[in-house]
Amino acid sequence: MKNIYQPDLMEVAAVQRHTADVKSVKVRFRDADCAQQFQFRVGQFGIFSSFGYGESVFNICSSSTWSDGLEFCFRKTGRVTEALWEIEEGDTIGFRGPYGNGYPVEAWKGKNLIFLGGGIAMPPIRCAIWYALENRADYGDITIVYGARTVADLVYVNELAEWSKRERVRVIQCVDPGGETPNWTGEIGFVPTVFERAQVAAENSVALVIGPPIMIKNTMPVLDRMGLPRASVYTSLENRMKCGVGKCGRCNCGPVYVCKEGPVFTMEELAALPQDY
Amino acid sequence: MSEVFEPRIVAFVCNWCTYLGADLAGTTRLEYPANVRIVRLPCSGRIDFNLLIKAFEIGADAVLVSGCHPGDCHYNTGNYHARRRWMLFRPLLEVLGFDMRRLHFAWISAAESRKFQQTVKQVVEETRQLGPYQYPAPPTDSYGAGREPHKNHFDAAAAQQRAREMLEAKEVDVVIGYGSSGPVFIRRPEDVDQITCEETGLNLAAYLGRKEVRAMGRAAILTKPMDAGALVVLERESQIESGAVKTIPIGEPGKGDFSDLDALLALPPAERMAWWAGEFARCTRCYACRQVCPMCYCERCIADKNRPVVIDTSPTPVGNFAWHVTRAFHLAGRCVGCGACNHACPVGIDLRLLNMAVHRAVAEQFDFNVGADPKAESPIGCWAPADHEEFIR
Amino acid sequence: MSEIISSDNLRKLAAEWIEQGVRVAAPQHAGGRVLYLPLKNSADLLLDAFIHPANSAKEFLFPKSETLYAYRVEGQDVKLVEAPGTETPQVLLGVRPCDAAAFPILDHIFNWDCADELYNRRRRNTTIVVLACSAHDANCFCTSVGLGPASERGADVLLVPLTNDTFEVRSVTEKGRSLFAGKTQTDNVAAMAAAGPEPRFAPDAVRKFSAANFEHPIWGEHALACVGCGACAHTCPTCHCFDIVDEHGERVRNWDSCQFSLFTLHASGHNPRPDQGSRQRQRILHKFSIYPDKFGEILCTGCGNCTRNCPAGLGVLPLLIAIEHEEHLPA
Repeated sequence: MKNIYQPDLMEVAAVQRHTADVKSVKVRFRDADCAQQFQFRVGQFGIFSSFGYGESVFNICSSSTWSDGLEFCFRKTGRVTEALWEIEEGDTIGFRGPYGNGYPVEAWKGKNLIFLGGGIAMPPIRCAIWYALENRADYGDITIVYGARTVADLVYVNELAEWSKRERVRVIQCVDPGGETPNWTGEIGFVPTVFERAQVAAENSVALVIGPPIMIKNTMPVLDRMGLPRASVYTSLENRMKCGVGKCGRCNCGPVYVCKEGPVFTMEELAALPQDY
Repeated sequence: MSEVFEPRIVAFVCNWCTYLGADLAGTTRLEYPANVRIVRLPCSGRIDFNLLIKAFEIGADAVLVSGCHPGDCHYNTGNYHARRRWMLFRPLLEVLGFDMRRLHFAWISAAESRKFQQTVKQVVEETRQLGPYQYPAPPTDSYGAGREPHKNHFDAAAAQQRAREMLEAKEVDVVIGYGSSGPVFIRRPEDVDQITCEETGLNLAAYLGRKEVRAMGRAAILTKPMDAGALVVLERESQIESGAVKTIPIGEPGKGDFSDLDALLALPPAERMAWWAGEFARCTRCYACRQVCPMCYCERCIADKNRPVVIDTSPTPVGNFAWHVTRAFHLAGRCVGCGACNHACPVGIDLRLLNMAVHRAVAEQFDFNVGADPKAESPIGCWAPADHEEFIR
Repeated sequence: MSEIISSDNLRKLAAEWIEQGVRVAAPQHAGGRVLYLPLKNSADLLLDAFIHPANSAKEFLFPKSETLYAYRVEGQDVKLVEAPGTETPQVLLGVRPCDAAAFPILDHIFNWDCADELYNRRRRNTTIVVLACSAHDANCFCTSVGLGPASERGADVLLVPLTNDTFEVRSVTEKGRSLFAGKTQTDNVAAMAAAGPEPRFAPDAVRKFSAANFEHPIWGEHALACVGCGACAHTCPTCHCFDIVDEHGERVRNWDSCQFSLFTLHASGHNPRPDQGSRQRQRILHKFSIYPDKFGEILCTGCGNCTRNCPAGLGVLPLLIAIEHEEHLPA
């Protein structure tokens, strides 16, 4: 029987630095069979490990339609992310997963997609954006509103520029007041305000909102006002986890184990759960 | 074993004297054994006891700690502070039965290359005789008898009366007392009969720093004879204002009794170490000892920090040894002997013995009474030119 | 007709098992109290005059610290080394019914969706010999959660005390039967199980209350005296929360506790359970609402260890009684 806590080994294929404390890493399985068999759904997460330092939970931020390895993105904040910050091409890390439910991309077919993200929440949105772009015919208009505290805190800026050139994709970038630079061409303001100003239609739409709690809290009234039902608004929770397989007992939000029944929930589902996140 | 045992020695040295002394030994071609790994720190005052424990944990057979001679410190007094700490750290290691022949202290100046050479040679030779360091296995025959938790009986009526008066006069907003199964928080005079003093194991000063308790306003606590000293230490360490917390003393002060400690110290060191290994083997790291201690008020304990991991979080033999050494030594000159840690330990480890060993060293070496004067300087935070150093080469 | 064994013969049997290399764990005196510990000497085995050991028997199936696997970092490469799994047979001898009942409950969490082989392997190699209770104390509440002093749940063999230092041996499983085969005598006496504690609360009332009152002053009030240690969780037969850390080239899992302030702390500094009240609530919810919702069973066997070991005299029982009281208040 396989030891469910034992990771697969992955080789670092590329490291990209986004900001002063955010990097993304592309990894490939060392074992050819693992690479062959590996499948995941966008919105799922993995448990990545730096040997000698420990494990950390990150969203798999590459699209599930890409066959070459997978990517994750992290901010340097703790013991494991500080160790991962130092990794270079060719290094080995551990991976367990994929875990969690993922986004209901099948149910989203035929809908307009609204993506609202703040700060380090871009990676879990990025995988969904790429998935939709790779399956462009299945989805309607795509609106992306992405904000950060300052221009220097925006991640995946090159891809934001690339997405904005695609057909029926509208990208709005914003930074908090005071976070702009002299040649900043994007909006200035917080994500909820900027999004409301953008006048996006609610008909036949679903929204994916990920960001700090305060952003989500202030975005909800805007979505309510534009008439988007809460069952059509999705988010991804980030409760602390250790095992990822529903055993270690810390990620639960009321009766729901976020690692197994989450991390993706509709706002309607979240409203029925206790405020334990 | 067919191979010759080559001891691994870790030398923690200060940057300004001993490191230069070692350097000089090299440049003047004074040969010394290659068994020593030198770790350079700014000052002997920076050589934390956790570094010593860590070195043994990861494979050192002996440790050498060395800095500037008294009077020579680059930072004026760092080595005096270091000497103070070692004076208290050694009695703790002794009660644990740690083999003191594996821990060496020296003053070596930048000019004393020969002394560095000779010291290293001696340490290597002595350690070679001792053989490899190993954390001992617990005794195989039986388990430590431990100490039955004993209960004192206190007069609840007088405490109730005093609590009622204080609450009625609005002298305090809450009286923290002992109820039938543990602490009770009394805010109305009519509730004072909940103070029954049946379960009095805790030191109620431990609750004073809690956000919820602070929010209640001015507090009075019931104090057993040893408990009130905690308020003195908390005031000394600027955790509470002078006179801010009222006390309702219960019970008559007893005499300090070190007989259990002396009985333990009568055993040969190796047996002591093995006995403690058996005791620590039961520890699950529930941290009840820390959580009930009025002196353990740190926002984040060193045991909960992970950058770097100073103390293993795993309840393994070495992890538990490191934890209990750290807990006891962080209480040096601060423990008031209330015994709450012993009361709290679910697996009955007699933690009090560790605290007592340091406590006695503080009293004997510095004539310091921990719980007496809030203005008196903590013995671990100061030093004296006359501090003894016969253990330093 | 019933099978019986004298305490002398039981000790001899335990000595035989130890001789054969079986790991025997049993209640013994240590640290001024009774604890389940590996049995070194069959004379140390306690068969009466204790209510419940201060720890629980779970540590013999789910140890407080366990290596999941080891690794070696070699340049840019890493070699994984599987944990040396042990197949050593083990007998838990003289465990209380409330400890034994915890294992079928824990089987759910370690086996839903993915199976935890480290736990399962020990489970397979373990035979559980339960010693029925002849007394209870004020902390016991097994009868409130559907168990009792002679409950057979989780047992392979149930020993029920008779008079004159003898036990009736009731084999519950084939594993238990073979362990005692040929070691017992037959007699026509039948042991009477002792009376259990009076039921103290109704689990359904607790479940109803805690599901409906996520925000309620009772949580904070009862947590006032809680010091935030893990004594309750670590001595609980059913608490199973764990942490995973890297130490000395190994990935290790250690017991954790929902009462620790770091338990749910996010890297960002946000903590969904910022105070002791919300942590106490989690413990009650997990045991009486979340676990029953998921697995159909209460995550509590009424052993009373949380109260017995709480430095502040709390544990779940006082809170459960208070909740029951609250639930029955007129609205």
